[in-house]
Amino acid sequence: MGNTMNAEFTHSPDEPLDEVDVALLADLARIADEIDPVPAGLVDRSLFAITLAGLEAEVMELEYVQAPAMSVRGDAPPVEARTITFTSESVTVMISLSPADGGLVRIDGWAAPATALRVELHRPGSVSEASSDDDGRFAFDAVERGPASLVVRRADGSGGAVSTPVIEL
Amino acid sequence: MIMVVDPIGAAIGSPDPSDPLLRPNPTSVPRTESMSRPTDEQVPTGESEESLGDRGAFALLEYREGRTHAFEAFVREATPLLWHTVRAQGVDREQADDLVQTVWVALVRNATTIKEPHAVLKWLLITAKRASWEAVRRHRDEARRRTELPDDTDEGIPELPSSAPSPEAEVLGNERDRGLWQAMARLPERCQKLLRLVSLADRPDYKAISAATGMPVGSIGSTRGRCLAKLRDIIDDQGESWETP
Repeated sequence: MGNTMNAEFTHSPDEPLDEVDVALLADLARIADEIDPVPAGLVDRSLFAITLAGLEAEVMELEYVQAPAMSVRGDAPPVEARTITFTSESVTVMISLSPADGGLVRIDGWAAPATALRVELHRPGSVSEASSDDDGRFAFDAVERGPASLVVRRADGSGGAVSTPVIEL
Repeated sequence: MIMVVDPIGAAIGSPDPSDPLLRPNPTSVPRTESMSRPTDEQVPTGESEESLGDRGAFALLEYREGRTHAFEAFVREATPLLWHTVRAQGVDREQADDLVQTVWVALVRNATTIKEPHAVLKWLLITAKRASWEAVRRHRDEARRRTELPDDTDEGIPELPSSAPSPEAEVLGNERDRGLWQAMARLPERCQKLLRLVSLADRPDYKAISAATGMPVGSIGSTRGRCLAKLRDIIDDQGESWETP
């Protein structure tokens, strides 16, 4: 193949976009999505995260995921046991997800440093609450699938709230 | 939250959020749903039609007024652009999912302090890039710490992503697509960046492109023309047709 970089243009760069240009750009976008698809549900997770932004909680970082397919999100296989760790400067929260009856999900969580916590599970349109024991353990036994975020506060009210990024249960 | 560095200071001028004078001026906010453009500063986009930047500006102004419909539409439309921007910095898929969410959250948290609604797309792209660099740097540091501990064989640590987007043309089923992707790979880096950006959004405004590529606003129109002309020359040279079948 010749070095076209230095060749004279046979296509004029000065003309406005014609339909071939427009079609090429559309092809490029389609190919980019084929090679690295935007995860299913990312828009919904983002919209949900935006509604949670009003809680003024510090958003934790997803540290790492142990799962058969290394994925907790829209492109995940059906739920199997998964462990996800979230960190912030003040607290680390680890949760294990496992299947519950009726296609629901059970969440077992543990926070460090160990202390009594109030934990809110936010899902679009609903919030449920659990309290941890003094060792920082908590559980939600049967949760619907879909986008969700946990917001964690100390039971004694000291310190601020932290929230996990929105994950797909 | 470690990842989002507020880029307002560097990029857009640093307003004090507590300053009441910087609150949105209600008179500049379009009052009717039918109005498609915000009334404040218009950035020349080189296009006569409404750009993604225009829609972003309108969405932000609406959001400030408590109306979320346009904002949701903007999130839908701009999320793919943010996704590919983050991924192009070498962030793995799992973390990119977080980063995109985090960038949107950062935007609404700064919704009232962004002085220039027309800079919203630029703001998003800069925020996404900085958050990505920070995430990649942290992953590298973590990997370095891990390699210093030879006994640690934890398999839960995600692999380091490569720093460049790989042109994984082999996953493409269609020969024509492979040809086009290979032709892209032969373009100069700046052309690849520019065309990727232009293709992923329906007319991103030139300010946003400039922020993402480092090209001066004034040269983007002509550079886009040159890059597309080169791309079509390369496709010809590969002996393939670019005509849509």
